[in-house]
Amino acid sequence: MIPYLALSAAMFMIGAFGAVSRRNLLIVLMSIELMLNGVNIALVAFAYHWQNIEGHVFVLMVMGVAAAEVAVGLALIIALFRNRKTVNTGDLTDLKG
Amino acid sequence: MIDPIFGACALVSLVSAVMVVTRKNPVYSALWLMQCFLAFAVIFFSLGATFVGAMHILVYTGAILVLFLFVIMLLNLKEHELGSEAPLPQKAVLLVCVALTAGALGWSGYQHWKMESGRTFKGARILTLPKREAPKPVALMDDKNGPLKGDDDKPMTSDWGGVKHVGRELFYTHAFPFEILSMLIIVAVFGGVVLAKRKL
Repeated sequence: MIPYLALSAAMFMIGAFGAVSRRNLLIVLMSIELMLNGVNIALVAFAYHWQNIEGHVFVLMVMGVAAAEVAVGLALIIALFRNRKTVNTGDLTDLKG
Repeated sequence: MIDPIFGACALVSLVSAVMVVTRKNPVYSALWLMQCFLAFAVIFFSLGATFVGAMHILVYTGAILVLFLFVIMLLNLKEHELGSEAPLPQKAVLLVCVALTAGALGWSGYQHWKMESGRTFKGARILTLPKREAPKPVALMDDKNGPLKGDDDKPMTSDWGGVKHVGRELFYTHAFPFEILSMLIIVAVFGGVVLAKRKL
């Protein structure tokens, strides 16, 4: 059980690092996917450990939410690129006073 | 002892994940992400989650990554359009992430060692996986009427983690969240069309 949770934690932190430190919006979205998948590993491992199928249901829910999130996120990126010709968060400082 | 299949897949997925967040070009990131997801799917299969593993390949590798690659293709970013990344010294967040991961890994390694060396402690049950045995078919039960019957009027069974097993749990116990999720996806589809379309 412990190795599965360790992998889950490591994957979540790699994803968190990417989401916070990268400036390319596409890679930020991919990092968020990594974080969600780290959680999925823990859910499936717990489902196996307790022989409780509910964990699998949760994973399916997370997958649905991730799909919706990527659809909206990529649409936002396309709209942003059309208006500003950039997907770099360092260049998107319109709200700065 | 760590399962060798899990060890190999964990190594592959960790290396791939690091490559995802460090590549400059998003195309390479997407391809490394694909490898990471495939390793995840193998881990799911090895944990008896056959349906979830298959869905993981279909949804993530088949749909989400293709969507990513399509958007990368549509944007067609040139080298100068990628913009500059934050310089490494400014990435103090790296220290925080490494420290947190090292803390989690160290703690879990310590607990693993304690368990392997035969010391028991409070909560030890959570740390041991049950011994792997051949998956037994699960009898599918209705909450009120006892065993579910198939078309041939025999009690229905399923492999643990198989389609019937997960589907029974999903549609009997968690039908309402499932419907809410379908609404969320409909809203996301409309939102995606509204945002990405040039003129409505």
